Amino acid sequence: MHAPDEQAPDKQAADKQAPDEQAFRAEVRDWLSANLSGEFAPLVGSGGPGREHEFIEQRMAWERRLGADGWIGIGWPVSAGGRGLPWSHQVIFYEEYARAGAPARVGHMGEQLLGPTLLMFGTAEQRGRFLPGILAGTQLWCQGYSEPGAGSDLAAVATRARLDGGEWHVDGQKVWTSLAQFADWCFVLARTEPAAQRHRGLSYLLVPMRQPGIEVRPIVQLTGTAEFNEVFFDDARAAAGDVVGVPGDGWRVAMGTLAVERGVSTFGQQLGFQREFDAVLVTARSTGALEDPDIAARIAEAWVGLQVMRYTALAALDRPAADVPGAEVSINKLIWGTWHQRLGELAVDVAGAAATVVGAGYDLDNAQRLFLYTKADTIYGGSAEIQRNVIAERLLGLPREAR
Amino acid sequence: MEFADTPEQALLRDTVRAFAARHGTPEQVRATMTGPTGCDHHTWERLARELGLTALAVPERYGGAGAGPAEVAIAVEELGRVLLPSPYLSTAVVALALSDQADPAFAERYLPGLADGSLIGALALDADVVSAGGTISGVARHVVDGGLAGLLLVRAGDQLMAVSAADTAIEQLNTLDQTRRQALVRFDQTPALLAGPAAPVIAMQRVLLAAECAAAARHCLEVTVEYLKTRRQFGRPIGSFQALKHRAADLAVAVESAHATARAAVWTAATDPARLATLAPLAALHCSRTFVQVAAEMIQLHGGIGFTWEHETHLYLKRAKSTQLLLGPVSGLRTEIAGQAGLLPGRRG
Repeated sequence: MHAPDEQAPDKQAADKQAPDEQAFRAEVRDWLSANLSGEFAPLVGSGGPGREHEFIEQRMAWERRLGADGWIGIGWPVSAGGRGLPWSHQVIFYEEYARAGAPARVGHMGEQLLGPTLLMFGTAEQRGRFLPGILAGTQLWCQGYSEPGAGSDLAAVATRARLDGGEWHVDGQKVWTSLAQFADWCFVLARTEPAAQRHRGLSYLLVPMRQPGIEVRPIVQLTGTAEFNEVFFDDARAAAGDVVGVPGDGWRVAMGTLAVERGVSTFGQQLGFQREFDAVLVTARSTGALEDPDIAARIAEAWVGLQVMRYTALAALDRPAADVPGAEVSINKLIWGTWHQRLGELAVDVAGAAATVVGAGYDLDNAQRLFLYTKADTIYGGSAEIQRNVIAERLLGLPREAR
Repeated sequence: MEFADTPEQALLRDTVRAFAARHGTPEQVRATMTGPTGCDHHTWERLARELGLTALAVPERYGGAGAGPAEVAIAVEELGRVLLPSPYLSTAVVALALSDQADPAFAERYLPGLADGSLIGALALDADVVSAGGTISGVARHVVDGGLAGLLLVRAGDQLMAVSAADTAIEQLNTLDQTRRQALVRFDQTPALLAGPAAPVIAMQRVLLAAECAAAARHCLEVTVEYLKTRRQFGRPIGSFQALKHRAADLAVAVESAHATARAAVWTAATDPARLATLAPLAALHCSRTFVQVAAEMIQLHGGIGFTWEHETHLYLKRAKSTQLLLGPVSGLRTEIAGQAGLLPGRRG
């Protein structure tokens, strides 16, 4: 068939496609090639896992360019300012975006999480106030869920908020907040009813980031770089009306977004994986590591895994939306997290002893970064163990463990 | 790429599933697998004549239903879920092969019989034969359904030769998987007709086996999950223990990925078979491996009862492992895939 070059997935994607999909693909491709030039040309391949700190100002400008030309919220309903495009078109957009090497998005928290949440649970006033900024790429959001004491057990959230003098007063700490230092707003899961336990008594608050009561401190990861932050709330304020859904019902609001997430963005991610795989293959070929039968077998298995990942994600899109909310996402997450981690191990094994030496200032090469960073893939966004619980309980209907 | 059944296909699936539930009960499967031929002829007659499943693989002008690989795969999946012993898959592959590549006279001779089930086909791929003057001589091993077949497609190099089983010496083998028999077939200057290149037929067989593996693996998962919900130890269902839930979740991920990969292969077989060169070995590799994994875990998660002859677990493990072994070594499939995908050393794509 084809070498795993840039043409192979291209042909695969274009095969047997409806004319409107082909036209849309051409439109996306043309726009990207026209715009990913000039001031934005250096952004090709920037950002993303392990490199979230790169070119941040330029990527914020790129977000605004995307928004100006209507490429944010393409799956949102037209009435909300989106383009109302079906899954198939969204998949095409993500594929072309990744193929062009366009930079990792800085606006994805707003577009992928907050926007859909407001569409489901927000008031008309909230939608009118926040959606346009997200769509324009001018308003950046970060996510305030995890806490030092509430990781996998998210319902253990201890950040508190109380209503006083027409304002929410927020106290506590969030952690693993990416892009917090650049975000304008944070959607925060906070305990608003101190007496209530666990999932009850939480509220989904919209908190402005630029205020004296908020301090952002970067977390240095095991890669030596800092992409995530701790966010400290010390009597931070939010307007009384900036609570999504009913106060005390924040858990349902936060989980509601998960139910509609179908993992469309994984298709762009998979092209990124293909690129990483190709780089490992090039190294294996040039160093002669590919002559090693063990390496050759692992390379072949990685390629097989990449195809299986794609088919599994495509098949999930073909199932009725209400089938098993959340389970597709968990299945995809387990598959790609495990696959990506294995690729990271393969990357340094292909490099051999050379991978034991780093650059000055602990500067990592791609193989080293892949090896180290992919250790996070089975932790963030719900650990692999939590995903297995979700699959066992929601998809298979197994009973909850005595807790 | 379409992964879901069309309404017509869903109807076909329901029909075959109902048939399999009626004629492929555990008692019937066991009676047939220990019977003289390994196939219940009344069930085969019904499957062929009443349901018309054999006709799915044959064009209408030769007495078939003019369906194709997608519909054949549905029948294979539903019969495979219950391990209904029959030469359906073998016969369907032979019929699809002859529908595709034989000249009209050739097709006229065999396809009507393959369509109505009066002629059973089998593939002899593990063959060591020499052909000379319109005959072949040699031996074919592990011929699945060889003892039932009237028509054999025998691999000779990169070609297939059509041979009438009546002209061969057939020795029935006792098989690890009793639900799917094999034979050793000897050829001694046996008349043989060139039936076309072997590669596309092997690809089709792999796709259908992949579909069967994915469907049977899903059945194993369903039975196992049901057991985890009902079996109680320490005062609660064992399916509430995280150690077991996580194993079940891993199986669910494997089953979903095998299902998706098999559907992709079936869709490609139906729409663009030229692209099966990579996808057929890939689907066969992934789906057979998944079936082996799920069937083995089915035993572990059932505990002691899963180790008994009485329970169905071992039938699935034996089908799974036999299928995987008959597909050839994993390293062989992997190298084939690597070659197609440009992953071998020393060459650039």
